[in-house]
Amino acid sequence: MAAAGDLMVHRFPQGKAVDAVRWLPPVSAFDRFVVAAAHDADAGVSAVEILSVALFQENEEPNKPSLLPRASWPSTSRISSLTSAKALTKPLPIALSTFAGSLHYLFVDPLEGSVESELSVAADARSFHRGPISALDLQVDGRACVSVGEDGRVNLVSLGETGLENRRVHDSRGLVSYTAVRWGSPAEFATGGLGFGIQWWDQRKPGGFVSQFKGNWTQGSTSGIVHSIDIHPSRKHICIAGGSSGTVFAWDLRWQKQPIILSGIGFKEQAQTSSEKDGMLTVLEQGYSLLFGVGDDSHAYATERFLDNILRIRP
Amino acid sequence: MPGRPSDPGDSLVPFSAEVHDPVVHPVRHGLRPPLFRVFVSWSRGNLLHVACLCQRAPAGTGVGEDGDDAARGGVGGKVVEVKLGGGGDGGISEAERRRIAYGSVPAFAMLQSRRNSLMAASRMQFSSLRAEWWQHILEYSNHIGDLLGTQKPPPKPVIGDPKMVVEPLEEPTELKAAWHLMQIFYADNESRAWLPESLVDWLEDYDGLLSMTESTIHSKLVALQKKLVDLQVIEDDPDYWQGLASALAVGWLDIVVKLLRLHGSYQPDQLDDREIENGLVEAVAVLVSTMPRLRPNLPTGKLGQCYKTKPDFVKAREKWQSHISKLDCSAFWIQCGHQQTCEGLRNLLRIMLGQFDSLHASSCHWMELYVSHFLYVQPFTAGLEGMHTLAQKCMQQKPAGSYTALTRILVGILGENTEARECDGLWVPFLLSLMVVHSIELLTADSKQADALLHEERYNLGGISIEELHRLVYAQVLSSHPLTWQIAPTYLASCQRQGLGLLEILLYKQPIRHYTMLLKDLEICRLYELENISLNVMKIAGVYHWKHGRKGFGVYWLQQAHDEVRLSRIAQQLFEHIGKSISDDSFKQWEGLIELLGSEVGSAGGLEFLHKYRDFKRSLQKVQEGRSIDAARKSTETLVQLMKSPSTPQRFWLPLLYDSVKLLNWRDRPLLTVSETNLLLNKLQELSMARLRPDFADTDLLPEALSSVRLALATNLGRAILEEC
Repeated sequence: MAAAGDLMVHRFPQGKAVDAVRWLPPVSAFDRFVVAAAHDADAGVSAVEILSVALFQENEEPNKPSLLPRASWPSTSRISSLTSAKALTKPLPIALSTFAGSLHYLFVDPLEGSVESELSVAADARSFHRGPISALDLQVDGRACVSVGEDGRVNLVSLGETGLENRRVHDSRGLVSYTAVRWGSPAEFATGGLGFGIQWWDQRKPGGFVSQFKGNWTQGSTSGIVHSIDIHPSRKHICIAGGSSGTVFAWDLRWQKQPIILSGIGFKEQAQTSSEKDGMLTVLEQGYSLLFGVGDDSHAYATERFLDNILRIRP
Repeated sequence: MPGRPSDPGDSLVPFSAEVHDPVVHPVRHGLRPPLFRVFVSWSRGNLLHVACLCQRAPAGTGVGEDGDDAARGGVGGKVVEVKLGGGGDGGISEAERRRIAYGSVPAFAMLQSRRNSLMAASRMQFSSLRAEWWQHILEYSNHIGDLLGTQKPPPKPVIGDPKMVVEPLEEPTELKAAWHLMQIFYADNESRAWLPESLVDWLEDYDGLLSMTESTIHSKLVALQKKLVDLQVIEDDPDYWQGLASALAVGWLDIVVKLLRLHGSYQPDQLDDREIENGLVEAVAVLVSTMPRLRPNLPTGKLGQCYKTKPDFVKAREKWQSHISKLDCSAFWIQCGHQQTCEGLRNLLRIMLGQFDSLHASSCHWMELYVSHFLYVQPFTAGLEGMHTLAQKCMQQKPAGSYTALTRILVGILGENTEARECDGLWVPFLLSLMVVHSIELLTADSKQADALLHEERYNLGGISIEELHRLVYAQVLSSHPLTWQIAPTYLASCQRQGLGLLEILLYKQPIRHYTMLLKDLEICRLYELENISLNVMKIAGVYHWKHGRKGFGVYWLQQAHDEVRLSRIAQQLFEHIGKSISDDSFKQWEGLIELLGSEVGSAGGLEFLHKYRDFKRSLQKVQEGRSIDAARKSTETLVQLMKSPSTPQRFWLPLLYDSVKLLNWRDRPLLTVSETNLLLNKLQELSMARLRPDFADTDLLPEALSSVRLALATNLGRAILEEC
């Protein structure tokens, strides 16, 4: 990764709203694919688009990468969440969820960038989610997918012999809404929701979450929603969560009562920097960009820096 | 928005006084008639919400096979969103418009903040700041100009094609042309000093846009270029000479020289026979390329000799003209064998000498004639007035079938007619208003008079200035689209009179179905310090989620909004579970909800009670499971606390006591002291008295509940007295 001063930003205006974007695992060093959830507000059409990123061009200027569409898969409803398997397999599974409450698996050829086949779980208020699915995450090999919704349901969709198998993990009947989810290990995952709450689930222990963090350190007006969670790849007990108002905090399963706030309105100097920068949604998007990012690189970078922070405080 | 001015005569926004036939736009709602009621309300921007309600269906008959909502609920309906003022696309896609709209926001905001900071400093030294301000204006203008047209020159071939005389234009757009025109007149101090030559340059870039239907010099030259490839003897073709004359008339000297060098007499095998002819061609080419120009510099590749001061220019011009006259009178013409070459070249000389007939014949559009006047007839035309009269004259000479927006803008600028410039309706509203909003920045940079005109508050516009009016209109267009509404606040915030009101409406009317949208809305509220708006938006969201069964989300937003009224209402709903059997399945759900409501809203009386009641129920459950004396004691304590507390509603007294009959009849020893029992008995007595009042709400407990409670209390009292003795 380049040093902060050498960052180059290339813009690729799309003309549509891009709801989510993810890298696909690379096959070669020069060409990579990106999968994006696009929404055309004028036509009211949504689609998953696979784009190829060519970092080096032969004819044009040397430093100007290009983004070319490869394949498109139309979606009936707007896409709320999109993720791809991390391990390179052929075909490569991509999972996406919609606002209508359906979940789709696309199988992509990692060399060609084309959609080979698809499987889906239809929107069904009884057996699946009621209303929009807010987040989903795929296992590293892409064989299992956990999805959460504002309806308070946690579902596990796995790739079976005949098709997709759907299992309800939990239903809080709307008392709790989940807005983020992330696998920690093949059996464990973390969910995030309102009031900066995080829940840790273990499939081997049925009957609800294993442990919970209630983010009530900020009472009243500064409480917010968790938008994304990431779990450290080797130290599974550390979760990083990003939420509204630019809040980023680390939650350590070994010290469940003491989260470390890394940024957010709670910190004075942080709040100042965010308000000095102009822009529509600086604070919120800081939260997004740090953890959602566009690429995996910035993702890892952010996590690493925070870990340093944690290790400094708790050696 | 401003109301309709009473007198169309003095209105700034033109509207025709005559009554037109109303235009009917059908709204497709897909419901089966008859409609019961139709509600119409403004949504964000130019969107209209039309809510159509169906007639209540008689029981038993389904309302249509496709009206699923209607069939289920009895009363059905649909909300249709109608976008007003869309119109044609003007050759530019929606995505392109959005790109322009987004790209122009930072420049606008930057200019506003610079203006403010300069205004603050301007009290001290105005003149030095003025230069700085012009710099900012020019920067801004260039930025917007770049946005309006894609600046991507096509890759030039390595080996130049000698026959390539007309360079392909870099996709000029009307919008960019208009912006550039305004930049020449208002933003760029440098080009203002050399107005005629700036117009020459402008025409060179945008000549092709002057007319879509009629031919222009540009279109003529493009046609000629196609022809050149096949022509064997160029100089025999009248089009060649026509093209040469036209290009010369508008001052495209490089093209003229290039074309002249294609003349057949240059070909080596013919040189001997056509020496004189070739000499004449070359002489004209040299004269053309050394034409004196009153301008500071020329871009590379363009021909002419620059003179910065008038005396120098006049001297050079006189000399140049004398050369032309000399050539015109020379004897070589008679010796020249090629008739067409002679005529063509002499026509070029006449153009250079500024003879009207030749200029008139070689230009197509009045703008072209206009520019040729600047070059060859009146190079010193200065002042808008002089330019305006000249323009009028040219228009009379070359009347066009229709005037495009571009030419109207030019005439408006020359006539110093601010309003005319802005009320031009040829473009799509979006782009027009974008142009206007941003061009106002240029206009006000220019003159104090325009500044006053634009900022004056006008009665007939509802007390707002023209500047504000245009900003508002533009912001409304932006607000109508889900992808651009978020940049509208930048413009609304700069409108002092009505901007804030519209901003509030915009924020209110955002769909809050999904929380990401809501968060963006709240963030904008925070940026503009609209605390009460954000509270209200959160309340709306809270109620929405609550209604749709997402109780957690609903309570969350209501709590964020500190909406005690609605939270108490929710608590009231929870009361309905009180007194129901303890083994009720929904207890968990009920308990979760109380948990959600949390303790922070303790000031709401009902909630405080609910929390205590939940604790009481929990300990009762423990009593049932374990029968431990400690749990029973604890339960009694909570019971007494509950009965003492003023926040416990009267109607729950009996259910509470009935719940705890088991405690009262505790086998081992009485759990209540005499005084406690008396307290409970008093409450029971009070309850019996209250029963007589007409407004008493009876619980749905069995009639024997009262007697069993009474019996249990009496027994307990007896045992307690014995115990305490």
